[in-house]
Amino acid sequence: MRLIPPPLSPRRRYLSATALCLVTTLATLPMSGHFDLANIVMLFLLTVFACAVYLGRGPAVWAAFLAVALFDFFFVPPQLTFAVADAQYLVTFAVMLVVGLIASQLAARLAERTEEAQRREAETRLLYELARDLGGALAVDQVAAITGDFLRRLEAKASLLVVETDAGGVDFRCHGGHSLGTLEQSFARSAYERRAVVEADSLAGMGVATVFLPLLAPTQCRGVLAVTPHTDDADVVRAWRPLLEAVASLVAIAIERLHYAEAAQRGEVEIVAERLRASILSSLSHDLRTPLTSLVGLADTLAQRQPPLPQDAVEVVGIIHDQAQAMYRMLSNLLEMARLQAGGVTLNREWQPFEEIVGSSTRLLAPMLTRHAVEVDLSPDLPLVQFDAVLLERVVCNLLENAAKYSPAGSRIRLSACVRDADLEVVVANAGPGFPPDRLDSVFAPFVRGEREPAVAGTGLGLAICKAIVEAHGGTIAAENRTGEPGACVRFTLPLGAPPTVDIEAAE
Amino acid sequence: MNAQTPQVIVVEDEPQIRRFVCAALRKENCNTLEAATAQAALEAAANGEADLVILDLGLPDRDGIAFIRDLRTWSQVPVLILSARVTEQDKIAALDAGADDYLVKPFGVGELLARTRALLRRRGQLGETGAIRRFGAAGAEIEVDLARRRVRRDGVEVHLTQTEYQLLTAMLANEGKVMTHRHLMREVWGAGSMGQPHTLRVYVGRLRQKLEANAAQPQHFLTETGVGYRFQS
Repeated sequence: MRLIPPPLSPRRRYLSATALCLVTTLATLPMSGHFDLANIVMLFLLTVFACAVYLGRGPAVWAAFLAVALFDFFFVPPQLTFAVADAQYLVTFAVMLVVGLIASQLAARLAERTEEAQRREAETRLLYELARDLGGALAVDQVAAITGDFLRRLEAKASLLVVETDAGGVDFRCHGGHSLGTLEQSFARSAYERRAVVEADSLAGMGVATVFLPLLAPTQCRGVLAVTPHTDDADVVRAWRPLLEAVASLVAIAIERLHYAEAAQRGEVEIVAERLRASILSSLSHDLRTPLTSLVGLADTLAQRQPPLPQDAVEVVGIIHDQAQAMYRMLSNLLEMARLQAGGVTLNREWQPFEEIVGSSTRLLAPMLTRHAVEVDLSPDLPLVQFDAVLLERVVCNLLENAAKYSPAGSRIRLSACVRDADLEVVVANAGPGFPPDRLDSVFAPFVRGEREPAVAGTGLGLAICKAIVEAHGGTIAAENRTGEPGACVRFTLPLGAPPTVDIEAAE
Repeated sequence: MNAQTPQVIVVEDEPQIRRFVCAALRKENCNTLEAATAQAALEAAANGEADLVILDLGLPDRDGIAFIRDLRTWSQVPVLILSARVTEQDKIAALDAGADDYLVKPFGVGELLARTRALLRRRGQLGETGAIRRFGAAGAEIEVDLARRRVRRDGVEVHLTQTEYQLLTAMLANEGKVMTHRHLMREVWGAGSMGQPHTLRVYVGRLRQKLEANAAQPQHFLTETGVGYRFQS
């Protein structure tokens, strides 16, 4: 681990210890004869102590023995031999050796603790810096780059696998590092699924990721950090574990923060877009309605003028009125389709009798249905159904309007409703020529019309709107031709669900 | 009010619409007062004895709903809304603020005059409706005797439950007016009741069964989709 300046290699430390002892010997040699030998012993002990503090335990022990040998050789009479004349010096040697060994032990332990503390401090500082850098990251790729820089100091590479959940299941997206192979992917998946660190020692030294750390953020596991060490020494890698786990948790928090920041931003963009769309639609609707209102109203005013206009002029005015109304219906359909297709329509579903929609639709459409006989057939005791009344009224109106447009005057239009299985089934049928048999499926697509060369005005949106509304209610809609007799028929269903009970008071 | 020539204030910023609305009203023998802004309309209403206010919700100087609320603090004159707004919430908000009826643009002159007549008639009848109300045509001629709490259909007595009768009288009392679901529920079940809209709908359906010629295509108890109901005789 290269978190603090690298210490000297063992060889150089032993050489340094040897050199120190030799320097001490050379320095004290001139004093020989002037100083008491006991003082010279002190100088040697000081040297051993210095070796213990600065060079570590091994060199200190070596220095203790070397010091005893040098002291014996150069200072204890007879000098320049290892022979000892006076046996009492053996005690001096023993004490010198023991003191040297103990001092070296103590000093070395102290040095180790200091080094450990420094290492921890450096680690903490680096983690703090990592946290700070990650705090400023604005994208997952930046997080991956910062993590990669950090692990480069450990002589390792980082690959960040961020989970992307979709309907299909869990998918990883790799940021930074190398793209992982199948084996690595399976290790990563296992780390993700077990929410535990996976170490693949067997892969060590092959240049592939061997440590897989789940990114456990406060709310969920956000992915996996795969570390590829350059060393193949499994023990070294194992010693990194606590640090790597700390890194993984910082990365996890950073990714979670990005996730929520992105979600919040996306939500805001959607709200703004929705507001913009709503305001465009509403101002379009307002701006187009105003001139249409004038057209309809002024045409009516002309028609009712006193003295009356000549007959042909009254007819023209009637046409102007009808065309303005038709244009308004097209406009409504277009705006409605825009609203439905934007997906921003929320259904205002309430439990209500279907009968109400029949009544309001036939009344709304009465001016268009004057030339047809409308036959309403609702089976008695239809249950309450949950639907958005305004939208369903639009469906029934569109179907009735179509039925009237595409059938000869004086013919019959039938609107019926009954319960079929778990659905309410509604059928609108006319006695016209029917749909072209080859286009029964496509009539619900926007801007598609039953006939290739339509003689009847329309936008081709009516049925598309019906389909969108019915499907939003969880129902189905189908077009068919009546069997046995001419005529087109559109059939739609609404799921019945479980209607609420209504307390009807007992008849008094 | 002046029984011969009712005063109608038309508040609409679009001159073309104002023009044909006023022309139609004058032919109905009404005096019209035109206003292009809410400010002018309030002044006109405060000065004259207006019998009806026809109000465009999208005025340039002020929100139409705030205008109605203001007007309602000192006047009970009927208010007919002309609106280019389409959502049902807008209509409900205007009705809750005190409007009596609404017309969605574009509307025909026939519709406008029918609503105007209904509201003016209502104003003429205030406090002087008789105890006996009649409506309907052959096949479903209804006679409601409010004093005796008795309902007849083609001369045959129809039995109504307590709630059905209350609903009927609430609707009769507000003839020509659009009543929101909330308003009707308050009238029938009381302010603090836990009435449900679907219960109201079921009761309206039962009234139609008993009093309409064809319950599926009612002529009197009309549905204002997404908003409420309207009674017309």
